[in-house]
Amino acid sequence: MSEVTHVGLEIHVQLLTESKVFCACRNSYGDEANSNVCPVCLGYPGILPALNEEAVTKAYQIASALGCTLSHSVGFERKNYFYPDLPKNYQISQYAAPLGSDGQFLYECDGQERRVRIREVHLEEDAGKMIHAGDLSLLDYNRAGTPLVEVVTQPDLRSGADAEQLLTAFRSLVRYIGVCDGNMEHGSLRADANISVSDTEDRLGAKVEVKNLNSFKFVRAAIGFEELRQAAELVAGREVVSETRLWNENRDVTKTMRVKETDSDYRYFGEPDLPPYPLAPAFFDEVAARAVELPLAKRRRLAAAHSLSDAQSAFVTAEPETARFFERCLTSGADGKAVANWLAADVQRLLRQRGETLGSSALSPERLVQLLSLVDRGEITGKIGKQVLQAILESDRDPAAIVEEDGLRPVTDAAALGQVLSEVLAEHPQVRAQLSGGDRKPVGFLIGKVMQRTAGQADPGAIRTLIEAEVAEEAGG
Amino acid sequence: MTTQQWAATASDSARRGKWSARVAELNGELNALLSFDADARAPVAVSGDGPLFGVPFVVKDNIAVDGLPLTCGSRLLADLVSPYSATAVARLEQAGAWVAGKANLDEFGMGSSGQHSAFGPVRNPWDHRAVPGGSSSGSAAAVAAGMVPLALGSDTGGSVRQPASFCGVYGLKPTYGAVSRFGLVAYASSLDVVGIIADTPQLARAAFAAVRGADEWDQSSVTAAASQPAGMPSKVGVPRVALAGLDARVAEVLATAEHQLEESGCTVVDVELPALEHVAAAYYVIATAEASANLARYDGIRYGARVGDGGGPGEDAEKLVRATRSAGFGQEVKTRILTGTFVLRSGFQEQYYQRAQRVRTLVREEVERELRRCDLLLLPTYPVPPFTAGSTAGDGLDELQQKQADLFTGIANLTGHPALAFPVDSNGGRPIGMQLMGPAHSEEQLLAVVERLTERWPPPRPGSHIGEVA
Ligand SMILES: [Zn+2]
Repeated sequence: MSEVTHVGLEIHVQLLTESKVFCACRNSYGDEANSNVCPVCLGYPGILPALNEEAVTKAYQIASALGCTLSHSVGFERKNYFYPDLPKNYQISQYAAPLGSDGQFLYECDGQERRVRIREVHLEEDAGKMIHAGDLSLLDYNRAGTPLVEVVTQPDLRSGADAEQLLTAFRSLVRYIGVCDGNMEHGSLRADANISVSDTEDRLGAKVEVKNLNSFKFVRAAIGFEELRQAAELVAGREVVSETRLWNENRDVTKTMRVKETDSDYRYFGEPDLPPYPLAPAFFDEVAARAVELPLAKRRRLAAAHSLSDAQSAFVTAEPETARFFERCLTSGADGKAVANWLAADVQRLLRQRGETLGSSALSPERLVQLLSLVDRGEITGKIGKQVLQAILESDRDPAAIVEEDGLRPVTDAAALGQVLSEVLAEHPQVRAQLSGGDRKPVGFLIGKVMQRTAGQADPGAIRTLIEAEVAEEAGG
Repeated sequence: MTTQQWAATASDSARRGKWSARVAELNGELNALLSFDADARAPVAVSGDGPLFGVPFVVKDNIAVDGLPLTCGSRLLADLVSPYSATAVARLEQAGAWVAGKANLDEFGMGSSGQHSAFGPVRNPWDHRAVPGGSSSGSAAAVAAGMVPLALGSDTGGSVRQPASFCGVYGLKPTYGAVSRFGLVAYASSLDVVGIIADTPQLARAAFAAVRGADEWDQSSVTAAASQPAGMPSKVGVPRVALAGLDARVAEVLATAEHQLEESGCTVVDVELPALEHVAAAYYVIATAEASANLARYDGIRYGARVGDGGGPGEDAEKLVRATRSAGFGQEVKTRILTGTFVLRSGFQEQYYQRAQRVRTLVREEVERELRRCDLLLLPTYPVPPFTAGSTAGDGLDELQQKQADLFTGIANLTGHPALAFPVDSNGGRPIGMQLMGPAHSEEQLLAVVERLTERWPPPRPGSHIGEVA
């Protein structure tokens, strides 16, 4: 018997808006508990929701980027359930007519293009947070009313690794569109996984939902665990129970939370406080105007245009900030391959060491381009270039100024270099002998020694010319 | 008393004291007000800005006033103080009126007798044995007794009009959306409207002018052009067949109202509203369904009374909510929450909720069709006169009969049309009112017609009345 795994994801995206979705409270993470609350988001008697249009626009941006059919009017339903973190004991959500439906998302998994169908995209309000501290249950309603977009995929995924790749690419997508910061630790991007293992390709098995997946790693691990657990049930001739389970990150297992309720237990009905309203063509123009090139498309275009390796194109396009930086370097006339090389290697390494990002650092695209051009024109060596890069980050100066002020110009003066070379040759008589014998192998060694002695400022080309002249002289003499 | 006379009373502490003492005395008999403060918000000057300057009003205690209790007539919210004001309250204040107190009501607006308040029943100023109607019982009784000339109420299925009729005053249920619901504690959101109870149609008109119009905090609110009253309407329709089983005394008063309209130059015609017989059932399905969600928030966690300590995680929170709701809600509220939960359940939605929505559409189409044939509709407010409190014997009505009797008022809530209840006859001590219903946003027209009738046939006053003391 061979089991087939089907995985669908419910991805929750907290939108980056100034205020909450139905009130004027600040939408902000990490503030003092219950400081961003008002009668509306605390569900006081008599309050009404007032829809934040920016949240609607951003939700449509996501649906649009996923190629969904967009609903021409926005309406909401009440999803009824009791939970202490839900102030009204119903959640304003979308049910009958989600704002986006039937889309798709393309991403790459191990170099292969994958496609997952998107069932729907809808807008809802987030709940607060219940924190258990010993015998106490504490409630923080700062998050209550945060605009939340739920993206529901079809069960097209086949493994935990697949889901992890999708989520990584999806995170990149929402960051590109600028609607979410994609911060899994803060919960601004969350996912629940629906896993069903069946013994035949023809039909899905019982659906098991796993919640509490706070990182992509947990998503992969939980799906892996469920695959094995459900397969074992089937092999043992038992039925898999359709239920909701929680991921326990300390023990790497899932545990039953509750046996699955059916949809209609939520007693959905139309939200009378937010009458469905038609969206004007101008709204859709705005959504279209905000559309950006998506990560995968950008990656393919840049890779082809600049002969980037897979790793380089992936690095350059993973974060919108990096991609923007890269493209600004290109407009300044830099060589794409060289920029990608620098970004993926030295720039990334130094930023990481310094705990900075491209945006927060002193390195601008203009400075990187200037630096590359200094190296390219031979005004400094590659090795000095790395020193200059470090100096830019440390002292916030332009590359040319650093070269000038720190005396980093290469030593090309033949007399000075000749002097150094003579010293080196004097110290290594056997090398001189090799060269005299027509053996060219020690040339690299000599260049290295001269460079060392000039603290890297010697121009390697100039040294080579001197060595060649030396050899010719010996041969002639 | 005129607006100017009220301003004079309100701005003079000695007169205010006299008035206040008389209100307290009357309230001892009627239990109409849950709180009354003649001083805190009274104007200091005898004149000032706004068409309603100096006019005191009371607010049904399911409408928020910043700094005042918002009990909704429920034990569960007995200690809640509202942190904000309803838009309608704020707009009346902007027009110069001021809040003098909060009015008793059937718990969360659920009831048509004034007997379902956790803070005791309200009595009818005309006859203390009779119910004042509900759920805006206190608002209607206070205005009828002359304690204040104006009150805000809420009308979900007749809750402004029926008590206004039972107490012999004017009760306006505006077009759905014409007045912001922000600050009105929701019972059934798609039916609820903030309504006005006043001792004259003129005051009702001034108050409506002050509160009407779109509000950014209520997305179902709209601003419609104020309708210009075009004198008396030429044709008024009466759904004769549907009124066949009417109580004889109510039928008689209906005939009086028809006669008055004809005397005033209108033609009274028969209209057909066959869907009327389904109104009460559809109304209760929709109202209770929405109520089951609207009242879910009262769990004792964030505000309001709490039963149990809710100490531990998970299970204990559930216990706390269960205990709080069991102890906090009255029987009628529980009945409606359970009914609403039932009709929304999986497998039952089609049979109840969806069907009720189709009836709603049908009723709306019928009313709109008839309003194309005539200008206004004339209906009784309630099929029987004010009934005796606390008994189902004699002229008393049991809870089911009371619900079935909501058909004449519930229709305007289902369709969203405006309707105005007005006193016609005191029926030897228990008033009977009629209502006029018109096209959307025809409130001014309704008020103008009733003003004309009132001028010619002024309604009498109840026995329990403040008189000219103020
Ligand atoms: Zn808020």
